[in-house]
Amino acid sequence: MRTAIDEPDERPVLRLTDVVKTFPGVKALDGVQLEVRAGEVHCLLGQNGAGKSTLIKVLAGVHRPDSGTVEWQGEPVAFGGPQAATKAGIATIYQELDLVGDLSVAENVFLGHEPRRFGFVRRGTMVARTREILKSLGHEEIPPRRMVHALPAAGKQVVSMARALSHEARLLIMDEPSAVLAHDEVENLFHIIRRLTARGIAVIYISHRMEEIREIGDRVTVLKDGRTTAANLPADTPTTELVSRMTGRSIEYVFPPRTATAGTDDLLTVTNLSRAGEFRDVSLSVRPGEIVGIAGLVGSGRSELLETIYGARRPDAGTVELDGRRLRPGDVGSAVRAGMGMAPEERKSQALLLGEPIHRNMTLATFTGLARFGFTSARRERAESERIAESLELRPRDVSRPVRTLSGGNQQKVVVGRWLLGGTRLLLLDEPTRGVDVGARAELYRVIRDLAAEGVGVLLVSSEVPEVLGLADRVLVMREGRMVREASATEIDEDTVLDLVMAGSLMEGAPA
Amino acid sequence: MASINRRGLLFGGAAVGAGALLTACTSNEAAPTAAQTKAVDAAAGGNAAPGEKVVIGFSAPAADHGWLAAITTNAKAQAATFSDVEFKSVESGSDAAAQRAALSTLLAQKPNVIVLLPHDGKELNSFGLEAMTAGVQVVNLDRAFPDRRAYRTQVLGDNYGMGVAAANYVIEQMKAKGVAAPVIGEIAGMDELELTQTRSKGFSDTLTAAGFTVANRRAARFTVDSGQQEASQLLQALPKIDALWNHDDDQGIGVLAALNQANRKEMIMVGGAGSKQAIEAIQADDSPLKATVTYSPSMASSAISLARLIGQGKGLGDLVELQVPKEIVLSSETITKDNAADYLKFGF
Amino acid sequence: MTATALETGRKRLWAGESGESVSRNLILAGVLVALLVIGAITQPQLYGDSAWVWSNVLSILQLASVVGVVTVGMTFVIIGGGIDLSVGAIVALAGVWSTTLATQSFGAGGMIFTAIVVGIAVGLVNGFLISYGKLVPFIATLAMLVAARGLAASISGKQTQISSSDLINGIASTKLLGIPILVYILAAVAVAGWVLLNRTTFGRRTVAVGGNPEAARLAGINVKRHTMLLYALSGLCCGIAAIMLTAQATSAQAAMANLYELDAIAAAIIGGTLLSGGRGTIVGSVLGVLIFATITNLFAINGLSTEAQNMVKGGIIVAAVLVQQFRFQSVTRLFNRKP
Repeated sequence: MRTAIDEPDERPVLRLTDVVKTFPGVKALDGVQLEVRAGEVHCLLGQNGAGKSTLIKVLAGVHRPDSGTVEWQGEPVAFGGPQAATKAGIATIYQELDLVGDLSVAENVFLGHEPRRFGFVRRGTMVARTREILKSLGHEEIPPRRMVHALPAAGKQVVSMARALSHEARLLIMDEPSAVLAHDEVENLFHIIRRLTARGIAVIYISHRMEEIREIGDRVTVLKDGRTTAANLPADTPTTELVSRMTGRSIEYVFPPRTATAGTDDLLTVTNLSRAGEFRDVSLSVRPGEIVGIAGLVGSGRSELLETIYGARRPDAGTVELDGRRLRPGDVGSAVRAGMGMAPEERKSQALLLGEPIHRNMTLATFTGLARFGFTSARRERAESERIAESLELRPRDVSRPVRTLSGGNQQKVVVGRWLLGGTRLLLLDEPTRGVDVGARAELYRVIRDLAAEGVGVLLVSSEVPEVLGLADRVLVMREGRMVREASATEIDEDTVLDLVMAGSLMEGAPA
Repeated sequence: MASINRRGLLFGGAAVGAGALLTACTSNEAAPTAAQTKAVDAAAGGNAAPGEKVVIGFSAPAADHGWLAAITTNAKAQAATFSDVEFKSVESGSDAAAQRAALSTLLAQKPNVIVLLPHDGKELNSFGLEAMTAGVQVVNLDRAFPDRRAYRTQVLGDNYGMGVAAANYVIEQMKAKGVAAPVIGEIAGMDELELTQTRSKGFSDTLTAAGFTVANRRAARFTVDSGQQEASQLLQALPKIDALWNHDDDQGIGVLAALNQANRKEMIMVGGAGSKQAIEAIQADDSPLKATVTYSPSMASSAISLARLIGQGKGLGDLVELQVPKEIVLSSETITKDNAADYLKFGF
Repeated sequence: MTATALETGRKRLWAGESGESVSRNLILAGVLVALLVIGAITQPQLYGDSAWVWSNVLSILQLASVVGVVTVGMTFVIIGGGIDLSVGAIVALAGVWSTTLATQSFGAGGMIFTAIVVGIAVGLVNGFLISYGKLVPFIATLAMLVAARGLAASISGKQTQISSSDLINGIASTKLLGIPILVYILAAVAVAGWVLLNRTTFGRRTVAVGGNPEAARLAGINVKRHTMLLYALSGLCCGIAAIMLTAQATSAQAAMANLYELDAIAAAIIGGTLLSGGRGTIVGSVLGVLIFATITNLFAINGLSTEAQNMVKGGIIVAAVLVQQFRFQSVTRLFNRKP
């Protein structure tokens, strides 16, 4: 929790009144009220599709509101474009950091407004000023001449913030900044944010993570269906209340009760699987109807492990067996034919054909099986997809819509639904609820449990420890490419798992 | 029995295919045509006798087309008829820059004479100057250098004259047939080349003088398929044609194909360049092709002969002068059924 | 009634592909008709003769037939996320190889067999280099463009090879029910391509591989093998086109089918094929080829120069892309208007 700033400046730098923005077919914003004061961290909460992204784009000058007023530093404004917003002092850091990988840190910071003399870029000045800005953020260790693609995600984020400061921003909008960061890096992010607010800069902070909001936020505004449902709540408002404002429901994680009884024979057997630089000597097993969760930080090798089991990466050593039959290493096709399915970490780039309709995405792994003599059956594909859409409570239910138009949670349902079609016996889930709002999460949890109840084995990877503990029957903890602990989910608690997961970063070189 | 037969049949089929693929590599080697070279007649004068040794360098653009291929073949074959000539040919790529690079290598080998068909006379003018300055005599073939210091001798075809000759034949035929206002079509070669423009100008100038005009003109690309395509469209544009001039006999194969496919035989057609195929067709007189105006690749053979004389410091036997002339422009001759037999040996 | 119509329209639009491409293709067909009308206005005398009009339509179709077949193959490659710059060179190589004296000695069957085998083989080499050699399609097929023309030139000895097979040459000069055989071949290839793209697992894989290769791979599709097959398919189309072109010109040479790669790519783009892959239609591509052929025809019957014709073609490519962008936005707006 965080106390209010010492001398609260009651005059808002930004005030939105009754802002409405309509897109073809959707009313994205339907009366948004928002008031942000100088030097505060104002959190914006809402499910996917609540209108947060549209709101950000209105503030960033990308969209123009249809009606309503935007007051910036006391004056009504209508930004003609992103440049106008930047010039006025509003900087936006999108989730996909818009940095140019092949330019240096300094070039990125001053991209588009490089210090010039006689038309030539003054590199020296640019580097010096970048160094100053980085120092003011507490990150003088980042070399201004380093190429941005060589930086880790956290470093890139710092560069994005430095860019905002180079524009003398008075308001910084951060869209899920912690999503790309490992646990310990989030603390550092908060440190920087505090430095900024101490200088009177206002921050709009968007996150799904309640604990972060409580730690860094001053006030909270909640959006639902394009409308402000609660404005200026204190950040220590109980989670249940915030969640109910977002959804009408009152719990953050809703796990259905465990009912499944796992089979006795192993369905999946992984033996001494290794891949240089990613993971070593990993052995594990999953029984039919069992949910096995892998907890670990980004970089612990968990996603790589999952992809290797699936055949998307070729192991250096070790074997993967499904039902006692060894799978061809590095061959997704043989894994799929054997009955494996995977929902990868990056939904949009790894799993979906965004422009294609829902039913074609659902049948992406099974259309060959539904075809006769190589001729696809649109009728059967649609019927099957509609059946799955029904059972997953997909919204919208119309399976001819392009996947692009769905919310994150519903897109994830399409990916999971894909594997429900083909008689999948083992489902690999990599961060199944990333970017999925609370309501859809609960539904996904139910789907996963139902699958297990039907005898499907599930191997799940998640950064969120409560999710692993709440969903899995058995928990494996991964750290630095090794399995460090295996336990029944009921025998182990969140703190223990967190300790194990983080041990490497707390105690250098501690033995596993 | 039946099964054996079938197996035999299958095997046979496979063998046919494999054979076709294998043999393709070795077939159709372009055989140098002896008829297009001319061993110097010993009785004609002193030039036949082997003289001092001459190293002749040769460069022409990579041939993508029969005429250019014939140029290189003829030059090589003509050089082979002389015992006192050493012939060095360089591959000169697909554009002026590549040819320049190849020529620099050639120049470094210090030949006595370089015979050169440049990609573009203007672009390679500077090379001519460089070679001449270095003391290597340059014989330009077909595409003139603007600078007279850039060559020792030029052997040129007469592009304008081709147009004139073609037009004259058309005029003569039309008058003979009594067609007062003939519909005349033209299938030109690559339109971006100056030589195409010159040919067309000779054609239209001459027609205009006789009170005729070109009704429609399409530019092909010196290739058979473009000849066919452009001709097919020209035929659409002109439902009745009295005379048709096609600049190039190679693309003329396509033009004739188009006439045949459209079943259009009403016109007389005149070709250009003088390929063997065309001359044979004129002789057979079973197609609309009644004449062709020459632009013969035999000029390459002549250029090699001249290069040898230049290297040896000799003049042309029948001329009074002691040295080879500065420029020779070959006249464009008209081949018809009457004289086709004489020209057949020049066909390429 | 109106509400239902709007609803259907909206559904079509959400269906994305089908609705959008149907209206796109209607616009292309409109352009085609407009070009023919321009022809009729500028040459009333020619268009006054109905026999001539029919022969002109056939001549446009014949003009489009060879590039059309190549474009069908190209459309698959582009939808599959690749590009094939070597199509013109493959047509030339297949044409030259099938007209060598040795091949011709096996008769028309041997010539057709050779052209098709050469086309497929070169396509497989392209596909292999791209799938397993991990070369960028642009580079691999550019290299093949150069190499195949080189091989064609060396096989032909830089000579024009006359086809002496009446059967082959007859493909271009024979009509069935008043329509040239070449047109039937284009129609057959286009229909086969349409069925393959829209009704078979091969087509679905093509869209998936081009739309999101990683998603396709993780769904168990063998992306490498499929990519290779796409280039082989393009090669097959080139082989068929080589026979057609040889028949038209009654001969083959290394320089033929010049710049067909650009014609085919341009036609596919005009037809709405996304250069980045994942979207495109056979009908659109064929309409694109027909538009180009009609422009050529229009310029020919009006006696206008080739330079102007090429400039107009360039302008059409840009205009088609711009109009499609603009149109899709405005149609989306129209369908979403509240009744």
